Amino acid sequence: MAGTHHFSLTRLALATLCAVAVNTQAADAVYREAFPRVAIDPSRGVAGGGDADFGATLQYWQDDQALEKSKPWIGNPEHEWKLNWKFMDLDHTDDMHPGYLALEQGEKLFKFWAKREPAFRTCLGEGKTDFKGLAAGYPKYDPKLKKIMTVESRVEHCAKTALWEDFKQGSPANNQISLYFKSLSTNMPIKVDTSSTEIMDSYRRGEKLFYTKVGQYNFSCASCHTTTGLLGQRFRGQVPTSPFADAAHFPTYRVGLGDIESLQQRFMRCNLQARTKGLPPGDPAYTDLEVFYTVLSNDYPVSVPSAR
Amino acid sequence: MRSIFGKGLTVAPLLLAVALAGCAAEPGKPTQAAKAKPSDFSEWPCMSYTLACGKIPTRKPVTQALVGPLNGDPVRGQALANERSKGNCVACHLLKGAEQPGSKGPDLTAYGTWGRSDAEIYALVYDMRSRNPDTVMPPAGANQILTDQELRDVIAFLQSSK
Ligand code: HEC
Ligand code: HEC
Repeated sequence: MAGTHHFSLTRLALATLCAVAVNTQAADAVYREAFPRVAIDPSRGVAGGGDADFGATLQYWQDDQALEKSKPWIGNPEHEWKLNWKFMDLDHTDDMHPGYLALEQGEKLFKFWAKREPAFRTCLGEGKTDFKGLAAGYPKYDPKLKKIMTVESRVEHCAKTALWEDFKQGSPANNQISLYFKSLSTNMPIKVDTSSTEIMDSYRRGEKLFYTKVGQYNFSCASCHTTTGLLGQRFRGQVPTSPFADAAHFPTYRVGLGDIESLQQRFMRCNLQARTKGLPPGDPAYTDLEVFYTVLSNDYPVSVPSAR
Repeated sequence: MRSIFGKGLTVAPLLLAVALAGCAAEPGKPTQAAKAKPSDFSEWPCMSYTLACGKIPTRKPVTQALVGPLNGDPVRGQALANERSKGNCVACHLLKGAEQPGSKGPDLTAYGTWGRSDAEIYALVYDMRSRNPDTVMPPAGANQILTDQELRDVIAFLQSSK
């Protein structure tokens, strides 16, 4: 008995080894094309948005002064894209847009659960009970969980472990609580830790994905969001804009959807638009893309609630 | 609480955003004519590290020859070039009779005067990568965005654009 058992285990191990070997080989051999790459220096953060390869639009939206000067372009289809939609952020509109309602919803939801189960608060704050500024450091590597965590995956994780609730990423509850958590860092500069190896490994994977052509149209993110591609060009009724500082205003109230959506839900819609399979929020590929995108927002202030 | 959409200045961009977001929400919608079940595009290469589509190879660039005479219908071709769920050529090109044309590709409103042969155009529209590997133009033939007959119709339309 023991002998047979041993034998089959060895065989199983061998078979697994072979399968793994074949798999990696296959993965490496998959033919993919990359859209022409642009040199990005991750240590520059949002400043890279001034580069010609990304439309050099930073000058028009980098701060209140710049936005004020560019205001005459609002509503002008030739120029409006240069504002990167930043005039729709919290500080730049006096309107009570529905992003605020989602935020109120999130605050209520958080307070309800934190009162019932204080562990939810300490889990979200990783021991801290004051959340001010915490969201500006996301995404980050969590050495205990051995994972890159986004605000949304933290909310999901803490709901599961502290509340036994399923606040899946992309669900209304998750988006609302994430929005509330992020709002406690509003106006604070985003500081993703680029000295972390894990973060930079993820950044590099995300950067690679950004240029990899996929889908029936054979488009990469860069096909639309760089100047060699469609950035600043009319693409039917739309004009793709710079990827810099995008991460700052998510989750955002999406007027056309009548709901808030997370950054990764936006990735999914861009994928679908280019006839590419959309991935579920929280997918490791989207997490890498979010790290890449958020590093491109470094030093730009968190700007929620916002509407787009 | 301040008013929702209270001020004239900010209402305009928000309304514009409604219109734009509407566009963005459209893709992925199956053609109305097609009865087939809506595709989630998992038959094409995707970004996943784990799903099967993450391992589907991209189709390599091809230089496709036109077989026989063109035999395209320019009227059908115009509709196909404009339809979002079909050619969607108008997303990037200015075409004859186009609404909301795109600005990335060359103006094709007088393409019939460019002096290109049917076979040349067929190869380019089938797969522009055959001429420019870095193009943003989708390979309409290689990736089955249009069928052989649909390509012929679109090319007949382009040749008739003068
Ligand atoms: C077919 C062209 C196209 C492709 C491909 C594409 N996008 Fe987009 N994307 C757009 C357009 C158009 C918009 C709306 C205008 C804008 O804000 O840029 C947009 C918006 C966005 C936004 C929101 C910007 C904001 O201000 O709220 C993000 C984030 C984004 N895209 C990321 C991506 C990522 C990541 C990829 C690759 C997975 C991608 N996009 C692929 C066209 C595209
Ligand atoms: C994503 C944008 C995009 C879409 C969609 C697109 N094109 Fe193009 N097209 C271009 C660009 C850019 C060029 C310039 C050539 C290059 O990229 O090397 C081009 C070039 C062309 C040319 C070659 C002109 C010449 O003789 O030099 C033809 C013909 C053409 N497109 C037809 C079409 C047709 C037909 C469709 C729809 C089936 C289409 N295009 C869809 C972007 C696009």
